[in-house]
Amino acid sequence: MPKLIIDDIPVEVAPGTSVLEAARSVGITIPHFCYHPALAIAAACRLCAVKLLDGPVKGIQMSCALPAQDGMVVSTTDPEALRMRQLVIEWLMINHPHDCPVCDEGGECLLQDFTIAGGHSRRRYQGKKRTFQNQYLGETIHHEMNRCIECYRCVRFYQDYAGGTDFGVTGSAGRVYFGRFQEGALESPFSGNLVDICPTGVFTDKTGRFRARYWDYQFAPSVCQHCSVGCNTAPQNFQRETIKIVGRRNDQVNGWFICDRARFDKGYLNDPQRPREARLDGATCGYDVAIDAAAKAIGKFVAQNGAESLAFVGSSRLSLEGMILLAQLARTVDGARLCYFTDGGELTGSAAAARLLNEKNSAYLRDIEKAECIALYALDLMEEGPMLALAVRKAFLAGAQIYLVDGDPIPAREKLPFTFTAVATLDEVPFEGGGRGVVIAGAGKKDADLLDQLASGGAKLVMLQPGPNAMAGGLLSLEFGGQAFSELASAGKIKGVVCFEADLPEGLIVDVEVVACADWRTGAAAAKAPVFLPTTTWVESDGTAINYEGRAQRFQRTRVPGLPLRGLDPKYYGSTADAVAEHPPRVHRKEVPGGAERDAWRVMAQLIERLGGRTIEEPLTGRWSKLKDLDPESEGVRVFNLLQGDPRTDS
Amino acid sequence: MIPETLKKALEARVASAITAREAAVDVMKELQAHYGWLTDEAVEEAASLLGLSPLQVEELATFYEMIYRRPVGKKVIHVCDSISCWCVDCDGIIEHLKEKLGVALGGTTADGMFTLLPCCCMGMCGDGPAMSVGGIPYGKLTPELVDEILEMERQKI
Ligand code: SF4
Ligand code: SF4
Ligand code: FES
Ligand code: FES
Repeated sequence: MPKLIIDDIPVEVAPGTSVLEAARSVGITIPHFCYHPALAIAAACRLCAVKLLDGPVKGIQMSCALPAQDGMVVSTTDPEALRMRQLVIEWLMINHPHDCPVCDEGGECLLQDFTIAGGHSRRRYQGKKRTFQNQYLGETIHHEMNRCIECYRCVRFYQDYAGGTDFGVTGSAGRVYFGRFQEGALESPFSGNLVDICPTGVFTDKTGRFRARYWDYQFAPSVCQHCSVGCNTAPQNFQRETIKIVGRRNDQVNGWFICDRARFDKGYLNDPQRPREARLDGATCGYDVAIDAAAKAIGKFVAQNGAESLAFVGSSRLSLEGMILLAQLARTVDGARLCYFTDGGELTGSAAAARLLNEKNSAYLRDIEKAECIALYALDLMEEGPMLALAVRKAFLAGAQIYLVDGDPIPAREKLPFTFTAVATLDEVPFEGGGRGVVIAGAGKKDADLLDQLASGGAKLVMLQPGPNAMAGGLLSLEFGGQAFSELASAGKIKGVVCFEADLPEGLIVDVEVVACADWRTGAAAAKAPVFLPTTTWVESDGTAINYEGRAQRFQRTRVPGLPLRGLDPKYYGSTADAVAEHPPRVHRKEVPGGAERDAWRVMAQLIERLGGRTIEEPLTGRWSKLKDLDPESEGVRVFNLLQGDPRTDS
Repeated sequence: MIPETLKKALEARVASAITAREAAVDVMKELQAHYGWLTDEAVEEAASLLGLSPLQVEELATFYEMIYRRPVGKKVIHVCDSISCWCVDCDGIIEHLKEKLGVALGGTTADGMFTLLPCCCMGMCGDGPAMSVGGIPYGKLTPELVDEILEMERQKI
């Protein structure tokens, strides 16, 4: 373990750690552009100069490319190093258009920060600047090449890290250009990370440009709710609108990056058509009126038809809190059925994962990255867990063998960022004594025996889930006897449903009475329900989600619910006719327009109370109570040991 | 479209390389010889021969100064402007070339004969100022010698 001294502070680091990282470990940030912890060292920008006063090397050195060694005495504040950094910044800024006021990166720009920090604040250069033609890169990313400082982060991410081939670096010397062969949409499903990784404003998020500055945003740690990987994000909101979503580091789950679905698929959160008001028989009503009506309707239905012909149906869109309370709600109406899944196959798969996975055999990001042999089994990786494709690529680049087991007719639809051998069955995959093997199975239909067989092999397992929080659905289905709605319905056992964020296909509820429906989007059940209760989405609520590997993660409310200020309906401006531009309502009111939504679990708690159950203030009880204080900024905790041998959820 | 024989030859060249990228420069040069410059079509053809994307070929093509991504004259003049040649007044030679040919750096003569490009050190520092015309190196240049060379190269066609 090399021991060195940085600015008079003794530091001890692991072998191979760079001086820049060693300094960082004691809280000293050496200005840098090309260095990025997730990427290989390029030493391209020359900004990270330090001076070595004593030891094996001496003089000015690039700290990002210099491994820490015993006996080094490093100064980050030596006048020579400072001067060097100042001059480097000045030269990197020579061609920069100085257009921060019209740049969407302004305020969250590493170039701004380190230019000022580096001591370059006045332009001396009076000559002509190099200028470039920008390219059209699709509907999500805007290109502004004049702001480039040639750090090569973008191309190292796009090609080396993410395996893309349609974006790169052309030219040489002063003509170095980062773009495509021809204009056109970037092909990589990870292209959005260019926005985060470029230290300047060359790539900005076209879907949220020029709406607000960094200091205007409201944001909080959140967890992507598009698939069961559960990557960490930070939605940036302004005036009740989710403007951008950026990646948030979690070394156990997603590293630094997120996929494009997480970043750009956000329109539904801001949709002005989202149901915002409680409804009773087609007319809007107060929220509590609707809850009373729902409780009454449930009571009436049970009295007429018996509790066993009523199903409480949720989905993997619910938070863990919502799922737990759904079970308690079903229990309050003694004998009612509980469904977290509509499809029987999905229930079998998720319940099998909940049953078979444990602390030891459940593979997570690092297991995949370090695997020697990986089998992709009945899986469309780019659809079901895009970010894991990058983990598999990492293993592949380190020499792992990758197999696509063709046991199921699900094709690898999109181009995968690694090469693989197709085999017919899992038996053909040569897991050497199970050493560092990982099987990644999709959420599609699989028979239970096969899953057992998978779990009994030596390899670690990933069982991707059919939805963001489906693992919790599987665990709770086991705990509370959850059933698949489609099976109950087709067996004619169900006469009525109460839906919570459930996506029931129209065909399944033709002959079923929808007693009440709570959701943040509309669907067949909402259209049929006499009582409708609008709920909040994951950006507007606190909650917990359990990802494919059994890791519970807390997401925090990132903004208040309500209609986005932009494009607000004229009725909120005291006028029913005038199309009013973007100005806050002129009518005095205390509530947020369209802000009546409540968290699904709170709605359930209120129903439980109305139906004669206890008052519930904390949804995480019994064996789940250990998750109460889960820190949203932590790496999350795996629930297996947590749940073992503990008393069940009390109710 | 390249002729089948050229395609076969290039495929063989790629097959004999340890990694396809290693054969990229040869492939680009052959295609350039065929088309006169490396056309967009040629970039795509090189890409499919090498198993790379067109962008990845473009990355290499635009890095090397002897791969031409724009139409050039029959013979390309590369005149060195690096340090050793600069010490022996390559600037004067470059001015002379510009005047004589009636083009700026990067330009092609009206008759389509010559394209004038500056280049990095060609390893002829001891014989500077240096240039190459159509691939043939010339050193110890003087304005008079340049005139002679241009005349000779014109005749050689
Ligand atoms: S485009 Fe951005 S990330 Fe890429 S080299 Fe330029 S400054 Fe760096
Ligand atoms: S891989 Fe899944 S969880 Fe991760 S960012 Fe993409 S959609 Fe979201
Ligand atoms: S950060 Fe060290 S050279 Fe760029
Ligand atoms: S500097 Fe001109 S040939 Fe070397």
